[in-house]
Amino acid sequence: MAGFLSSVRRRLNLNQPTAGDGDPVVEALRAALDPSRVRYDGAERTLLSHDASIFDGGVAGPVCYPLTTAEVQSVMRIAEKHTRNIVPRGAGTGLAGGAIPLGAPIVVAVTRMNNIIEVDVDNRIAWVEPGVVNLDLTRHLMPLGFHFAPDPSSQQVCTIGGNVANNSGGPHCLAYGVTNAHVLAIEVVLPSGEVAMLGGLDAEPAGLDLRGVFIGSEGTLGIATKVAVRITPNAPAVKTMLLSFDTVRNAAHTVSAIIAAGIVPAALEVMDQRITQAVETYVGAGYPTDAGAVLLAEVDGLAESIEIDANRIAEIGREQGAIEVRFAADETERALLWKGRKTAFGAVAQIAPDYYLHDTVVPRSRLADVLDEVSAIAERHDLIVMNVFHAGDGNLHPLLVFDKREPGVIERVHAAGDEILTASLNAGGVLSGEHGVGVEKQKFMDLFFTDDDLAHQNRLRQAFDPGCRTNPGKVIPSGHSCADIAALKRVPREVWA
Amino acid sequence: MDLKLDADDLNTCVQCGLCLPHCPTFRVTGDETMSPRGRIQLMREVQDNDAPVTSEVVDAFATCVQCRGCEPACPSNVPFGHLMEQTRETLVDNGHMTPKWQQLALKPLAHPKLLKAGTAALAVANKSGLLPKRLGLPDELPVRQKPLVASGDDVWLFTGCVMDAWQREVHAATKRVLEAAGFGVQPTNDLAPCCGALQSHAGMGNDARNLAAKAISALADAPVLVNSAGCGAAMKDYGHMLGTDSAAAFSKRVFDISEFLAEHVDSLPAVEPLDLRVAVQDPCHLRHVQRVHTATRTVLEPFVRELVELDDDGLCCGAGGAYSVLQPELAGQIRDRKVGAIERATPDVVASANPGCSMHLAQAGVETVHPMTLVDRALNG
Repeated sequence: MAGFLSSVRRRLNLNQPTAGDGDPVVEALRAALDPSRVRYDGAERTLLSHDASIFDGGVAGPVCYPLTTAEVQSVMRIAEKHTRNIVPRGAGTGLAGGAIPLGAPIVVAVTRMNNIIEVDVDNRIAWVEPGVVNLDLTRHLMPLGFHFAPDPSSQQVCTIGGNVANNSGGPHCLAYGVTNAHVLAIEVVLPSGEVAMLGGLDAEPAGLDLRGVFIGSEGTLGIATKVAVRITPNAPAVKTMLLSFDTVRNAAHTVSAIIAAGIVPAALEVMDQRITQAVETYVGAGYPTDAGAVLLAEVDGLAESIEIDANRIAEIGREQGAIEVRFAADETERALLWKGRKTAFGAVAQIAPDYYLHDTVVPRSRLADVLDEVSAIAERHDLIVMNVFHAGDGNLHPLLVFDKREPGVIERVHAAGDEILTASLNAGGVLSGEHGVGVEKQKFMDLFFTDDDLAHQNRLRQAFDPGCRTNPGKVIPSGHSCADIAALKRVPREVWA
Repeated sequence: MDLKLDADDLNTCVQCGLCLPHCPTFRVTGDETMSPRGRIQLMREVQDNDAPVTSEVVDAFATCVQCRGCEPACPSNVPFGHLMEQTRETLVDNGHMTPKWQQLALKPLAHPKLLKAGTAALAVANKSGLLPKRLGLPDELPVRQKPLVASGDDVWLFTGCVMDAWQREVHAATKRVLEAAGFGVQPTNDLAPCCGALQSHAGMGNDARNLAAKAISALADAPVLVNSAGCGAAMKDYGHMLGTDSAAAFSKRVFDISEFLAEHVDSLPAVEPLDLRVAVQDPCHLRHVQRVHTATRTVLEPFVRELVELDDDGLCCGAGGAYSVLQPELAGQIRDRKVGAIERATPDVVASANPGCSMHLAQAGVETVHPMTLVDRALNG
């Protein structure tokens, strides 16, 4: 009978969420947004304690799904009035824990703000809402002869808002530049609830580049509600090739030699044997599973010029010991090769159910040495490491794969991760290529920045967010960060009411 | 609660999120609880961390269309469909979902006489305007009709339950097409009354397994051809469902009608193609589960002027068997996306090889026919 009544209730639409009734913040949010778009139940709050990283974030507070800038403003004002933290969230594909909730914050999920507002082909600009999926934008632009250039591996899922927050890269950013190069203006709701327009559509907007400050700020400065992105004309011709090598070292040397020869390919991606085997099982693209490493290279531009570049790349590859050079015969084969590359991370469950994906950048000339060091570190900690990376810009993505049910393995994974990062920094590298700092690399900020640097970063952040309530506990280490510690005093609450 | 999920199956998910855009309910809600990744995490919370089965947790599972669009998108090959079916079965057994009256509503599917009587009653009620529109019933339900008669025993034509009661003309068309290709056709009629898919989706595992066993023992030797994508997918899964060698051998004999005809398309007579621009709407269980959707194009191509693809990556239409009746609001929002994709393709007609999809789309005013109906029309006028 109870089941029957609940179905009747649902049919009659009486099933509005009720968890959180009596909580002043939840009630204020439900009054400001449609009640169905504010959730406070255990299921929702537990799920939103994760993103795609291995970091746990405690538990989310109320979860809101605003539809408009005005609704985001209301949420911000309610948070300010009740001194609650805010965590913006897109598709939750981040790998550095940037979207996990610390201190029971109000989570603002922008997934429903997913309209492509306007495409201006003449000026090569598109205005989009932050929840638009990266690949959806490109698919929308394709028939017009354009695309959005940053193409992270998660592009079929991740949102433009997330790309802006993390200054995302992708295989094709070698030639085209990362997100920062493709965003002209951002409408931002500040923690005070005010709206600010950062940047502008003019070629050289006057004043300080606050747009540039916001891009890559990982949700610590406010919430983007509209983004003007640059749209890129599709290349007239594309050539994709696959070079196989006996060793990762040879593949890495080839990458350095290609760049040294003055060629800037659209993409240069290396995958080691374990990765190749995992993705081949999934896509069946014809990746050579017996090769020690493969280099996926792509050139685009005018047909005549890419012909020359492609041949030159093949030649350099052979000089560096390539055992096979293969050109994608058609668009289908090309798409399959890329599908393999872009699903590589997800495919690792074939080997172990958990992974910790790293993201560091080293000078190209040191690639081979650092890779050797990475495999030695993994061996020392008795872990499997797989390598897939944006070789062209020296952006390493070693994946440590493991089964977290094995006692003690998490500690080994974190220890190995720390050593990998230290090795990269010692080789003259930087902390993060494109995944951001989040909670993952906070403790390494001290190694890379001086106290002065961090104090300035903190002051800049406070200019936007004086109370340190937006995405507290991320990026800037707590020793340098204003009120983060106070903001993070956890509000203990029963999740599964 | 022990959901009785295989721990290794549950652990294949690495939470990367690549499934999210391929999930129709996540697409329309943007809500993690309505995504495959979220649902798997909730299975873990319930099974491994003993989280309570609240109404929100049940809702997260009940709102899944079971289209399985997440499966081909998953680089780690998480068997999501099986996880969801098992989850629902455990929840039904424990009284958490599919209340008794809903279970009762599915019972007639296994009883042809009851179903026919019910259909006649529905037809009369529908004609007199007594039934609400959102039930999604076809306007012209048959009050009385003759069963199909065998023309040989080269192949079985699986006629099933609702489709035989409500869309028998599609079976008749399919039979004529097979005969034109030179096959003697034996309709299964009451021998195997229902494939058990809807029961399995609703978590009524025992009913589903009984129907599977019945079909396996009744339909010997010849290939079993199925023109409903949902039924075909279910019957191809009998091997897994029953875990016996005979079930696995039976499943190997099951073919979607287009999958079978694609191999014999040269045996069909050459005729003047229909002057139609046809959009192919792949039923999820043809594309994501059976993964034989390209055959539909091979078979249709010689018989229509033009085939056109939808630009939505095979995202579900929201029909999902009984889903459109149980979750009308979500099913409607999901359908709106599909209708948008169809409008962009500007077809004269939409071809879809599943009765659920065609009824659901017809309700939104989209003219949807079975591919076999089109081929039959081209062959026989």
